[in-house]
Amino acid sequence: MTLAIIGILILLALLGAPLFTVIIAAAMLGFHLSEIDLSVVAIELYRIADTPILLALPLFTFAGYILGESNTSKRLVRLTQAFLGWMSGGLAMIAFVVCALFTAFTGASGVTIVAMGALLYPALTRAGYPDRFSLGLVTTSGSLGLLLPPSLPLILYGIIAQQMSDGAQISIEDLFLAGIFPALLMITMLSAWSVWANRANPIPLTRFSLKNCRAALRESIWEIPLPLFVFTGIYSGYFAVSEAAAVTAMYVLIVEVFVYREISLGRLPGIIRESMVMVGGILLILGVSLAFTNFLIDAEAPMKLFDICQSFVSSKLVFLILLNVFLLILGAMLDIFSAIIIMVPLMLPVALEYGVHPVHLGIIFLANMQIGYFTPPVGMNLFIAGYRFKKPIVDIYRATIPFMLVLFLSVLVITYWPALSLFLIS
Amino acid sequence: MGRPISNTAMLIRLATIFQKIEDAILVSLMLAMISLAVFQIFLRNFFDAGIVWADPLVRVLVLWIGLIGAMAASRTNNHISIDVISRFLPESVKRFTRLLIYLFTAGVTALMAWHSFRFVAMERADGITAFANVPAWVCEAIIPVAFAIISVRYILFFFQQLIDNIRQTP
Repeated sequence: MTLAIIGILILLALLGAPLFTVIIAAAMLGFHLSEIDLSVVAIELYRIADTPILLALPLFTFAGYILGESNTSKRLVRLTQAFLGWMSGGLAMIAFVVCALFTAFTGASGVTIVAMGALLYPALTRAGYPDRFSLGLVTTSGSLGLLLPPSLPLILYGIIAQQMSDGAQISIEDLFLAGIFPALLMITMLSAWSVWANRANPIPLTRFSLKNCRAALRESIWEIPLPLFVFTGIYSGYFAVSEAAAVTAMYVLIVEVFVYREISLGRLPGIIRESMVMVGGILLILGVSLAFTNFLIDAEAPMKLFDICQSFVSSKLVFLILLNVFLLILGAMLDIFSAIIIMVPLMLPVALEYGVHPVHLGIIFLANMQIGYFTPPVGMNLFIAGYRFKKPIVDIYRATIPFMLVLFLSVLVITYWPALSLFLIS
Repeated sequence: MGRPISNTAMLIRLATIFQKIEDAILVSLMLAMISLAVFQIFLRNFFDAGIVWADPLVRVLVLWIGLIGAMAASRTNNHISIDVISRFLPESVKRFTRLLIYLFTAGVTALMAWHSFRFVAMERADGITAFANVPAWVCEAIIPVAFAIISVRYILFFFQQLIDNIRQTP
């Protein structure tokens, strides 16, 4: 009977039932069978109000939506073009760098492809890059930057890991540090591949001009301090993560609405609503999962899972290989926030038993999820790119595959070279 | 048969007014939350002080904003879901799977509304305070309210889909 209900729940989830209702139903079923009063689900949901770090979620999301709606993307492209346009492969590298920065701030919600892709795709083809290459590049870049602070998935992983870590302490500041070099590795490898892929195809370069740089700097003078707030504020320990989020949200609001005047006051309510619909979706899943996770831990599910794994896999290396394969598939099917909320509580204890550092696991997790965004057949960014650039989805598949292989290689490096992620944190 | 049409028109107008109110609450809470959070930082750095109840209030605001955001998401059935199978199903099948999903969602959220209502009622009977003089049940009250409204919206989706399906099959 119970198994039949679980089967029906999984089927409903796959048919597209809202994930939070499936989790509530599963949690309620579990508590009902353990004869625990079902109001416990509401009590667990209220724990959202006891978790100070969660404040960072709505604030960074809001700031990201405002940046996505204003002309920040244009200014950012102009700025990087002025500074990097003279290098060979410069434009491709520009695309990777700006997309990574933009995604770090706006979250990988597809807004990078919509806002940045609209600028970069025509720019790349005009500069002489082949159409398919350009298409693959902008689609791939839509999730680049997930590992850079203050990306929401990074924060969310930290929150979940903190909720459940007994013994293993993990701080969001550490995660922010750990993501930097893996992200740089990805950008470097993608840039190198772009230069190599276009070696037979000379791309005209723009001359470096100091005047151009100065003009671009002046134009984005109000937005340049933004990464500084986040990086120096958090790394120096001057701000807590949620405080940096508050300052960022307030600053972005003032700059885009009152200084650049690109967002009218009338549009503000709509943007707030849009961003909070996303936050609401994430928080709801998080809140009900807290209940479900508690049930799983009471039932010692992670330990049982570890025992099963142990009987098949004894070495850390094989475990990591299987982990990568599993995460890649997961990333193509599940959106990143639900994947983190549902899988991390199960996976983290198992990975700890195999001796994987919790911060390293977070980086591996997100690096795989990043590829999942454009893994055929259902990676979300493939559909967004197809829709945005009006191309058949099969063209997008074909265009992204080389980039996917490059990123897959970088994920292997990230997975088997823990020091790359961990050497900045003691 | 003029009445049913004007009734639907009135229902739609009511729904629009309700959405406006929802938006207004969401926007005011969000702006309040940002201002309060920044003001706290300002006080801490320049006056080495702070409002005692500001931090718990901000945390409750996160819950409220999240749940009202979730309410707004259910206006258009815009919740996070695994969209693996439905993408490849023909429209004729999807008409029926949607019916099933709306009914399931309405049922689960109604159950959740009922049990969280019981939780809030218990807290009220116990007379627990959250912060300052604000009783805890007031902060928690958004949970049953939000789930009840989400449930109502999915019940409406269900009937809308049912009517559509009946019209489609001659």
